[in-house]
Amino acid sequence: MIDFLQMVVSGVAVGSSYALMGLAMVIIYKTSEVPNFAQGEMALATSFITMMLLTAFSYPVWLAFCLALVFAAFLGAFLEFAVLRRAKNPNILGTIVITIGLEMILLGLVSWKFGAEQKTMPFPIGPYDSFIIGDLFIAKLEVLTLVSALVLMCLLFFFFRFTRLGLAMKATQQNAVAAKIVGVRTNRIMMVTWAISSVVGATAGLLISPVIMHPFMMWDPMLKGFAAAVMGGMTSLPGAVAAAYLLGIIENLFGGYVSIEFKSVVAFAIIVLVLCFKPSGLFARHYVKKV
Amino acid sequence: MDMKRDYYEDVQLVTSPVVLFWLAVLMVTLLLFPFVVSNYYVYVANYIAINIIVAVGLNLLVGYTGQISLGHAGFFAIGAYGTVILMTGAGLPFLLALPCAALVAAGFGFLLGLPALRLEGPYLAIATLGFGLTITQVIGRMELFGGREGLHAPDLFIGPWAVDTDRQFYFLLIGITVLLLLGMRSLIKTRVGRAFIAIRDADIAAQTMGVNIVFYKTLAFAVSAFYAGIGGGLYAFVLRFIEPEIFTLMMSIMFLAMVVVGGLGSLVGPVVGAGLLCWLDLKLRNILNIPLLGDWLETLSKSWFSITGVSNIQYIVFGSIMVAIMLFEPLGLYGVWLRTKRYWRTWPF
Amino acid sequence: MKKSLMVLIGCMVFLLMSVSLAWSEEGVTDTEIHIGQWGPQTGPAAAWGSVARGTGDYFKWINSTGGINGRKLMYHMFDDGYNPAKTLAGVKELQEGTGIFAWASGVGTSPGLAVKDYLMERKIPWVGPAAGSLHWVSPPQKYLFGVYPLYYNEARALVGYAVEEMGKKRVAVAYLNDEYGKNGLRGAIEELKRHGMETVAQVPVEKSDSDMKPHVMKLRKSEADMVLLWTTVSHAVRIVGTAKAMNFAPQFMSTSTCSDFPLMTHISKGLWEGVICATFGELPDSDHPLMQQYKKNVFDQFAAKEERWGMFYAAGIIFIEPMIEALKNAGPDLTREKFVAEMEKISGFKGIGPEVNFKPFDPDDMYSRQGTRQTFLVQCLEGGKAKRLTDWITLD
Repeated sequence: MIDFLQMVVSGVAVGSSYALMGLAMVIIYKTSEVPNFAQGEMALATSFITMMLLTAFSYPVWLAFCLALVFAAFLGAFLEFAVLRRAKNPNILGTIVITIGLEMILLGLVSWKFGAEQKTMPFPIGPYDSFIIGDLFIAKLEVLTLVSALVLMCLLFFFFRFTRLGLAMKATQQNAVAAKIVGVRTNRIMMVTWAISSVVGATAGLLISPVIMHPFMMWDPMLKGFAAAVMGGMTSLPGAVAAAYLLGIIENLFGGYVSIEFKSVVAFAIIVLVLCFKPSGLFARHYVKKV
Repeated sequence: MDMKRDYYEDVQLVTSPVVLFWLAVLMVTLLLFPFVVSNYYVYVANYIAINIIVAVGLNLLVGYTGQISLGHAGFFAIGAYGTVILMTGAGLPFLLALPCAALVAAGFGFLLGLPALRLEGPYLAIATLGFGLTITQVIGRMELFGGREGLHAPDLFIGPWAVDTDRQFYFLLIGITVLLLLGMRSLIKTRVGRAFIAIRDADIAAQTMGVNIVFYKTLAFAVSAFYAGIGGGLYAFVLRFIEPEIFTLMMSIMFLAMVVVGGLGSLVGPVVGAGLLCWLDLKLRNILNIPLLGDWLETLSKSWFSITGVSNIQYIVFGSIMVAIMLFEPLGLYGVWLRTKRYWRTWPF
Repeated sequence: MKKSLMVLIGCMVFLLMSVSLAWSEEGVTDTEIHIGQWGPQTGPAAAWGSVARGTGDYFKWINSTGGINGRKLMYHMFDDGYNPAKTLAGVKELQEGTGIFAWASGVGTSPGLAVKDYLMERKIPWVGPAAGSLHWVSPPQKYLFGVYPLYYNEARALVGYAVEEMGKKRVAVAYLNDEYGKNGLRGAIEELKRHGMETVAQVPVEKSDSDMKPHVMKLRKSEADMVLLWTTVSHAVRIVGTAKAMNFAPQFMSTSTCSDFPLMTHISKGLWEGVICATFGELPDSDHPLMQQYKKNVFDQFAAKEERWGMFYAAGIIFIEPMIEALKNAGPDLTREKFVAEMEKISGFKGIGPEVNFKPFDPDDMYSRQGTRQTFLVQCLEGGKAKRLTDWITLD
């Protein structure tokens, strides 16, 4: 029983980083129907820049992290402005290819600048310090990730529901031309969307990097986060988060009870199964295309 | 103008004596090629030919039917492992094992096509991605397939002839490639191809017109998987050694990039895309040896970046090509060619 | 028309670019010897790229002191990104274009396996693949000389020490689910069988796994008192860290790939203390005089600014030392057959690696082509320092 609980707790812990990546992807998709494959690498660039600030320039931790988030916001906005906007009415395949291309560029730049060796991120909380409750343990870092994920999710939810900017974003997603007519500055909205998404992704990256840090570190969280977002429905924020936790828990339970080797495989298999029954994800509304 | 007056003209391969002439020149060049260049370039040509096969197959799915697949490395792997196992385990000759393995891949493609009926966009991308990863894992797990240690391809015999140099393999490969390209062209030009295009452009409208979506979508997946399987089987013999780690997500992404960069929805596009990207992939190994650019990159690396990571520029190059093509010419390199042709058609006015 | 034109243009481009240099003598001229190596300079295995760079800087130093018998070593290194197709392409290009005399080291079992047949068929010598796999020497190949101690033997040394010297009774193995990890597992099982024991848990680790908790939970459940780690550096660090967090504290042991203690301590933030590792050579920060000499002459003079003096870099020197020795002994009249003969004569050679012994080629004796069967064990101390636990152990 204890094992089962521990696995659930671990699943929740690992699900939080998936949740953050999933949130980031859903934000962009919600506003512009672009699945952003470059999400992981945007977070990667931010984490590495932070590490550089902390080690090479010896900035204090809080300053480095704030600057990191600012950098992330600028990076997101810049990518949207310089690249996505220039694409002439791309279809879904086009945006996927563009974002994959951006991802490779960022990956190449980070690897080029920092070399391939394992690095380490100086972080106030050690990666393995944990709370031990009875026989269960959960790392402090994971608690922090969990808290951040939930807090960000609530913030974003209220943002989209109750603020004017959030309303403008939803309007842009549903019908960009109509939104423009009504006075919403869609270009600016898109930049802000990417900036917010980049910040969320950067949080995930910064919280992953104390444990492991090398140029390919974001591939796995990004894929799982993307998969979680897809499972939850690409247009639903709480859906992405819930699906991410579900994914983490299922993964860990499967790994513990059945087979560690096929852990990741089962995750994707479950997603495909879910999608067979609910093509737009668990929590989203299925919009039927008209001819 | 390229006006067609009846169906037969539309489907015809050789439309005029000019075309016939150039086709003949092409055939002669292809046949003479391995005798003129060194062995290494024959190897490169083999590698490119395999990627052409896969790209053309993927193009059917992505360019003509409008679906997405990020998991084609999985079909590639099935073809590779299937061929080797059928040859070593069941003792089938190569020319029989290859299509059988590809048919197995096509079967899996059909299975993948079933959920694809209901999915689209990022959902389909994730489903195919998951499939690709699953295949690698399953293959790696089973000892029957050599597990993680990989398999060595057996010696290749076509009838009584041994095929063990790059040159001999080249001729085999060219034959298969040309055959498959002709097959693809016929498929596109006929009713089946038109059904695919209809599905891409407006699938609900197509359905109301009587196009059986279920049949054609799964067929598209199956055929593209078949091509990828053939490519995989041939790859096993070019490389002589396969293991699950080779068939990565990056490989699937490269296949997709070849199709998109080359030009969706045309037959020439994937050929050119595959050629260009494979060539770059192999050539960018030694960034620093490029004549002028190399020195500048070296000084740049030493001052701002790291010299140890300088080979990572190849990622930057690939990414930039993908982004640039999508931004400036969504129809890919083939689109660039079309534009050039159109421009010069009315020159000098 | 369009298609044929495009493909025609493509072919013309190929023809134009095909400049094939014909070398009458493969890889050796009066003033040069051409040596090639591949290495993962990009991609997930890029941390191992420093092996190839280490060899390059070593050659630069040799050239600066006059070369070998009046010839300079021309080093051709390329990046294969751990992709066997690229390895094969690069080897073919260099072999047929420039003409390579012999190949040095080269990281990775699958890249190596992709080129092994090609090189052996053409009778091209290859010394010191940077992987301790059994594939190189079973069956032994006349032109392939292994210098890396076999993973199998390392595992046996570690497990043997644990059982005999430390009295461990419950041994578990966490292994990377590929050829490298499985070799370690096999070695462990063999050695335990000799002592009449079995593993209490065998936990496979996938390369893409980032969360080690399920693995550590399995290990903890088995109540192992010694855990053998045969994974990548990052996985090993995470397993040790997660175990410490879970209050699970067996004796951890690991292989030579994780024996770069300064690096491991840095990444694990000190948690690597107490882990025992096998090695494939002297430790980079030991006071072994030859090692110090290499650091001064090779690293300080020629290494790139951001290169780190560590195990992987030193490996680029360790695996090549026998090759340099044989090249020197072969004298000014250098051919491949002479080189192979000199390699076979190497006996009791000691550089900064284990003792190297080769024998005349015997297809039934894998030690005619596996030059090292020694390793020694070290334990990580605080701050990344190392304590030598044993002398060189010779395995059979």
